[in-house]
Amino acid sequence: MQLYRLTLATMIQRKVWIIALFCALVLPIVLPYLTPYESNPSLIEPARAQAAWGCLWVVTIAWLFFQAARFGDDTARSGLGGYFLSSGVSGLSQMMQIWLACLSFLLPLVLVTLAVCFIGAMPSDSAQAQMWVATNLQYAALFLLVVTPLMMVAVSVGSRFGSTVGYLIPLCMSIYGMYGVGYLAMMTDVQSNLLLDWLYVVSPHYHLADLTPRLVFKHGSMLSSEFLQIVVYFAGIKIVLAMLSTLTFQPKAAT
Amino acid sequence: MNLPELSPRVELSCGLSIGYEGRLACVDGRDEGIVLEGGTHYLLARNGRGKTTLLKTLAGVLNPLGGDYSCEGRCQYLSEDLTFDRELPAKAIFKAFLKKGKYAEAIDLAQTLELDVKKPYGQLSTGNKRKVALLVAEFSVQDQGHDVLLLDEPFTGLDTFSREVFQKRWNHNQDGVLRLVSCHPDFDSMEVNSSVLITNCKIVHVAGDGEAQCWGELKNQLN
Repeated sequence: MQLYRLTLATMIQRKVWIIALFCALVLPIVLPYLTPYESNPSLIEPARAQAAWGCLWVVTIAWLFFQAARFGDDTARSGLGGYFLSSGVSGLSQMMQIWLACLSFLLPLVLVTLAVCFIGAMPSDSAQAQMWVATNLQYAALFLLVVTPLMMVAVSVGSRFGSTVGYLIPLCMSIYGMYGVGYLAMMTDVQSNLLLDWLYVVSPHYHLADLTPRLVFKHGSMLSSEFLQIVVYFAGIKIVLAMLSTLTFQPKAAT
Repeated sequence: MNLPELSPRVELSCGLSIGYEGRLACVDGRDEGIVLEGGTHYLLARNGRGKTTLLKTLAGVLNPLGGDYSCEGRCQYLSEDLTFDRELPAKAIFKAFLKKGKYAEAIDLAQTLELDVKKPYGQLSTGNKRKVALLVAEFSVQDQGHDVLLLDEPFTGLDTFSREVFQKRWNHNQDGVLRLVSCHPDFDSMEVNSSVLITNCKIVHVAGDGEAQCWGELKNQLN
């Protein structure tokens, strides 16, 4: 696990995690107060949860995806990939070690977000509180199922095509999956087109992992069957992306 | 010399051919092949003759064009362009790579070599960056030996004092580690017990049979 330790040490040394932690911890507390909350103070708690999850998405996509792509790129170009390869650490193991190091920063951020939602935005009513906990836990699980394979894509594409491409691909995938698919759905409603229908089916529907409206409008948690269906769907995408990442990862720069 | 039971060994069979698209060098088919065991062996050749290619091939990073080779032992290939993150200090790099006891030894040797282990890697001079990589490789070897260190021009940018520290360490430590070191010696009197030369597109082994040869004699054999 030398590469894992080295990657972790590098991320700690770069100190950007302080900004990420600040965004995940302080912004959800501060941002709701910048709104005209005085007109309806009861909205401040759902707004806090919305800000907490929003910040987590932004921090993950803007910072962790970039870090993952950069580490993939650096490992291939710096000669470290070749060094580890010579000492018997396979490409797959190298990719997993970098990915795990990034994950080691992501998990505490998810815990901080959950803590903000549980401590700073928990409904006082016990039935609602129970539902609130369940929804947030479901959200955390779906969030991790969406972003962790994309982080792996960032590492592998970064190692082969450089950090810029390695960052842009998971960034575009996540934005497309969150918002683009919605526009595609509108287009397929307006005009029937086989190609668009097919594109809609094969697109990653990451918007299904965004449970923010459920929290904001207190719709309650998802039914177990519905939740499991979505988990299986994202697990399938995860397997496909993990396989593609394994094939794409290149531990040494092309000679 | 008391070598551990599991002695590292590198074998280049006759007919081994290395290169990228075109052949750079090969072990002559008429020879018996080359066998290297624990100790320090120098890989000597002029620029562009295939030193790095041979080391990469032995490390398993590059496929040979033909022929066989074997590398028995825990291999580490230290390429000439190996770098670490510019913000990491040497101390953090050693911590990531080395076990506790070895870490303390590496810090000790770093002090002898006047390497500032607290300075970010990116701010170190070329020679000091090289020291970091060399120390990582040196102290990553297992206690029971059975290691193969393939060092590509480790002395580039290193001052004479530091180079001598490493060479003395290699000569005095009978740790059973096999080191194949590519380099361009800069003084004729440098002693070379065993060397692998790449000359006229052929890879040959020149062993001193107990008597060390000097770089001054060997360099005349390089085309």
